[in-house]
Amino acid sequence: MNFSRRAMLQSTSCGFGALALNALCSEQVVASSGGGLETRTPVLAARAKRVIFLCMSGGPAHLDTFDYKPQTGQKKHPGSVFRFRQHGESGLGISELLPETAKFADDLCVINGMHADTGIHAQSFLQLHTGDRLRKRPSLGSWISYGLGTENQNLPGFISLNTSKSSIYSSAFLPSIYNGTPIGVNGENMSFATINNVSSDHLPLSSKRRQLDFVQMMNRNHRKLRPGDDKLESVIESMELGFRMQSVAPDLLDISTETKATLESYRVGQQKESTGTCKVSDFGRQCLLARRFAEAGVRFIEVSHGSWDQHKNHRRDLKANCEVTDAPIAALLGDLKQRGLLDDTLIVWGGEFGRPGLTPEDGKDETGHNSNGFTFWLAGGGVKRGHVHGKTDPTGARAVEGKVHFRDLHATILHLMGLPPNDLKYWHAGREHRLTGPEGGKVVHELFA
Amino acid sequence: MRIAAACRTVRVLPIVLGVLFGWMNAVSAADKSTISPEDRAFFENRIRPVLVKHCYECHSADAEEVGGKLLLDTRDGLRSGGESGPAVVAGKPDESRIIQAMRYDGIEMPPEQPLPEAVVNDFVKWVQRGAPDPRVPVARPDAKTVEGAKAAADKEDDKPPLWSLQPRTQPAIPNVKNLDWSLDPLDRFVLARLESENLAPTHDADPRTLIRRLYADLLGLPPTMDDVEEFVSEYGRDRVKAVQTVVDDLLARPQFGERWGRHWLDVARYGESNGNDGLGRNPTFPHAWRYRDYVIDAFNNDVPYDRFLTEQIAGDLLPSDSPAEHDRYLIATGFLAMASKPAKAMNTNFDMDVVADQIEVVGTGLMGISVACARCHDHKFDPIPTRDYYALAGIFTSTETMWGLAANEKLTASPTDLHVLKAAPKVLPPADFVETVLVLESNTGVPKAIPKPKWPVGTPLAIGVRDKAKPADCKINVKGDAKKLGEVVPRGFVTACKTESTNALTIDPKQSGRLQLAEWLTQPDHPLTARVMVNRIWLHLFGQGIVRTPDDFGVYGERPSHPELLDHLANRFVEDDWSIKHLIRSIVLSRTYQLSSDASEKVLKADGENLLVARHNRRRLDAESLRDSMLAVSGRLNLEPADGSIIRHRDILVNLAGNLHQSSNHRSVYLCYLRSSLPPELAAFDVPDFTTVTGQRDVSTIPGQALHLFNNLFVIEQAEHFAQSMMEDSTNDSDRVRLAFRRALNREPNQNELDQAIELLQSTTSELKSDKKAWSSLCQALLTTNEFRYVD
Repeated sequence: MNFSRRAMLQSTSCGFGALALNALCSEQVVASSGGGLETRTPVLAARAKRVIFLCMSGGPAHLDTFDYKPQTGQKKHPGSVFRFRQHGESGLGISELLPETAKFADDLCVINGMHADTGIHAQSFLQLHTGDRLRKRPSLGSWISYGLGTENQNLPGFISLNTSKSSIYSSAFLPSIYNGTPIGVNGENMSFATINNVSSDHLPLSSKRRQLDFVQMMNRNHRKLRPGDDKLESVIESMELGFRMQSVAPDLLDISTETKATLESYRVGQQKESTGTCKVSDFGRQCLLARRFAEAGVRFIEVSHGSWDQHKNHRRDLKANCEVTDAPIAALLGDLKQRGLLDDTLIVWGGEFGRPGLTPEDGKDETGHNSNGFTFWLAGGGVKRGHVHGKTDPTGARAVEGKVHFRDLHATILHLMGLPPNDLKYWHAGREHRLTGPEGGKVVHELFA
Repeated sequence: MRIAAACRTVRVLPIVLGVLFGWMNAVSAADKSTISPEDRAFFENRIRPVLVKHCYECHSADAEEVGGKLLLDTRDGLRSGGESGPAVVAGKPDESRIIQAMRYDGIEMPPEQPLPEAVVNDFVKWVQRGAPDPRVPVARPDAKTVEGAKAAADKEDDKPPLWSLQPRTQPAIPNVKNLDWSLDPLDRFVLARLESENLAPTHDADPRTLIRRLYADLLGLPPTMDDVEEFVSEYGRDRVKAVQTVVDDLLARPQFGERWGRHWLDVARYGESNGNDGLGRNPTFPHAWRYRDYVIDAFNNDVPYDRFLTEQIAGDLLPSDSPAEHDRYLIATGFLAMASKPAKAMNTNFDMDVVADQIEVVGTGLMGISVACARCHDHKFDPIPTRDYYALAGIFTSTETMWGLAANEKLTASPTDLHVLKAAPKVLPPADFVETVLVLESNTGVPKAIPKPKWPVGTPLAIGVRDKAKPADCKINVKGDAKKLGEVVPRGFVTACKTESTNALTIDPKQSGRLQLAEWLTQPDHPLTARVMVNRIWLHLFGQGIVRTPDDFGVYGERPSHPELLDHLANRFVEDDWSIKHLIRSIVLSRTYQLSSDASEKVLKADGENLLVARHNRRRLDAESLRDSMLAVSGRLNLEPADGSIIRHRDILVNLAGNLHQSSNHRSVYLCYLRSSLPPELAAFDVPDFTTVTGQRDVSTIPGQALHLFNNLFVIEQAEHFAQSMMEDSTNDSDRVRLAFRRALNREPNQNELDQAIELLQSTTSELKSDKKAWSSLCQALLTTNEFRYVD
């Protein structure tokens, strides 16, 4: 790793938390007036400045989206049941269910050798987000905000749309300023979900500022008498961020200023009905908000659609899931590209695992969970375009080449953001923690353009 | 590797954590003694993680194909070896096949690439030491490698026992060096553990802190300034008596049941609507509030916990002395009818989904063991076979679950009957009430006519359960599919969880078996029921449980930090006739509970997570307590229980209704807990969605909470009322500020605070030309401070 701790500490203005960037460095650096959100220069050459994670919860069926497994020999084996076609100059194979995304085939960097530790939804979903299956740990977006701060001091560095329980977007033991801000939790209507209480006119902002100054004076004195309680410091910081959000967020959340054509291309508000497992999530509005947040300098944005957990009615429900996400994703890619944002925005698509294939013509329409081999794709942010990395065996059952574990994916994302994945650490409860866990993650350099 | 991670965490607490790779990790007591702590640590830190990471994929019972018939996931497997002989020859690395393989000498393992030299050296060192291996001595019988499927069927017996399923012990009160410290026997358990770690408990909380803590924990409300002053002076005279007096007073107040009933409602996944059925429909439960009131009354009357559970599981089957008592028992069974159901449309498993929820709330909520996985397959980690699931399922398939009309929308759920209450008053809707929220035809979008309910308007009704006319055992649903039926399983309980009288409890074939289920759960020697509840109570008084995963006492849950203390308290709980108030009283009168939440640097460093309870935990007020405290300080709190619910006459789909919530000055427990549409006054502060058991709420810190405090209408209104009463009360700004501090924070402001408050008032007044607004701003500020929102 080509950096020294001294250089690192010089190049960054660590918040009141700490960037322990060296296995030996465990001291918590306390400094700064910025409260931890100020932009920090990445240690490594950064290829991406922000991430949009398209979280496909429930475990998307890789064999019917991006990992084509045709019938080959005499014996029928589990494989793809939908048709695939090659797209673009790269000839990337993409399922017939994703015609709009397929138009961006030459921008995608498909990872077909993903694997994870468990086929239990909640655990794998947590591991995908935090690296840990069991305990509350900082989420990927929190680690990135911690490492880099945010480009817009008036917004959180990490926003999570259509999310579920708070452990998914939690900063855990990292300072709470790096916690994700949810927009829509537990199935809230995503056509209206907003940042609640983001404004009120009972006092002008100037009076509110003086009021908050008084509160913070009280809070700081209170904190001083209670040493060793970082939670209290976190509250102080998050009050400041909340205050600043009042001036920016309302406009950002108002998509009525977008053109009709844009709203149409994202299919905003067009999904009216659920189909089986496929829930109404106004994925179009989510993607459009993601673009607006990305433009405004939010570091990590997660949008979510589910559930891809179609055990029964595989064909019908998978088709529905693809249909409602396909056009919004394509619109997002096109929009970012047109605005010149795709180059430094890393798009990540995937879920907590994949699914085993169906055996065609045996009448079965059911799948289960498969954490041994599945697909993610990346786009923008310094990754290869029109590229496929790794593969699964002929039935898609397990990754056999170019295997990428969640911790490797995490390492790769951090590296693309300019953060040394295995050295981004935080001291907590008697030891150092990092996103990539005790084993560390391998950066998959083959993915980089 | 989890193990490595966990072990590194546990410098101070070697036995607390660990155990994460399924049953193989649980170590019998006998083995513990035969291996030195150093050897154990070496194995856990250096050897096991490597085995798990690099070898288990092919060399474990869980491998798809076991390579070379060699199992490395048990000690015996490693010693006896596979096709090419023993993997390890103790003391002789060069002769050990595993070392040869790692050196790529003859065999090359792991096949992808050799392990780093340092790792190989660790293994060499380990073999030299005699390959000490703390794992269970018995190889796991597995149909794939060991002949005889019978062995696999018997594997239950070979699993080292799960701690929580073992009978409770009768731990002796430990000896301690500091004999004067304890106020209650439980203190000795805490102190002994601290002394063994060379730590001492921190100092006692000062009485001002303690009284606020007691009010928050027992009532969920702040004390008044008079309460504080009186307690402080009594405390000075006789500490023990002063605390006892105030505790007894608080336990006797009706607000106690509102506070603790709310904790139980979290466990019972209480909600006033179904929640999203997966098709975006969310029908109300207009009668669920009766269950809420039942729970609050039960806590206030200190209904013994065994009785409380029996009423909720089988209240309809209990004899009663009066129509009112009969009503109460019927209402209690609402516990089993709260399922957040997936839509009925095209769901052949619907009935079994309802049963699954009942099994889950009984399993996770009452026993801390998730039985849910066994619906489709034998539980992967916990000793719950599929047969057990269907033995329990038979009890619930023999039971009729009554959730009501489900907004007359058959696609979400078929309408059911309801309990008709005898003694409860008939309450008619307001004269001018017309339902405005109408269910639409899914095809045409035209509103459907509301069918006339079978009960006269205003009939008192309750959700709940009752026995079916023809109870029957349930057939196994193969892989959880109700259309693929396997063998019939006689109704019964969880087999791994034994009590002395389990065998004597027979289910009358003419009944559902719920009564016997309740009887079984509440056996005094049931290993889980008392432990789980005692842990829940501890959790609410200390901020974390003795078992920090309150809903998971299984293999993947955490181990108790103080196993003997847990059993000690559980024994007392059962001996004291399962009295919840009694247990709470004992705990809050203990020295441990009365500790300060501050501690020396030494303690903070040695035990950052406070597993040893050398201090109390500072806690944030939960959503309900925060709202109630604001109402208390603003002077607007209405301590009368709310009458019913705002949706008691509304059988509608909430998803069509927009926001039904109305402002109220009653305590938060009486707000309308619609799933997927929570009261906006609470939503910012980690209120769960109430679709599953919630033993412990999250405590997140996000800017959305700051925004709530700045801009939420409820907060603004309370600040205005608070300001109003300050302005009425005194004429001088300094006096008013002092009064405001006393009201909100139970203390006088210091000079700096006083000055700054006056400055805020003056500058805001001059900006907005309004005294009132300036005062509201200051009062809102006080309600926003951490001092107001946290309890030391």
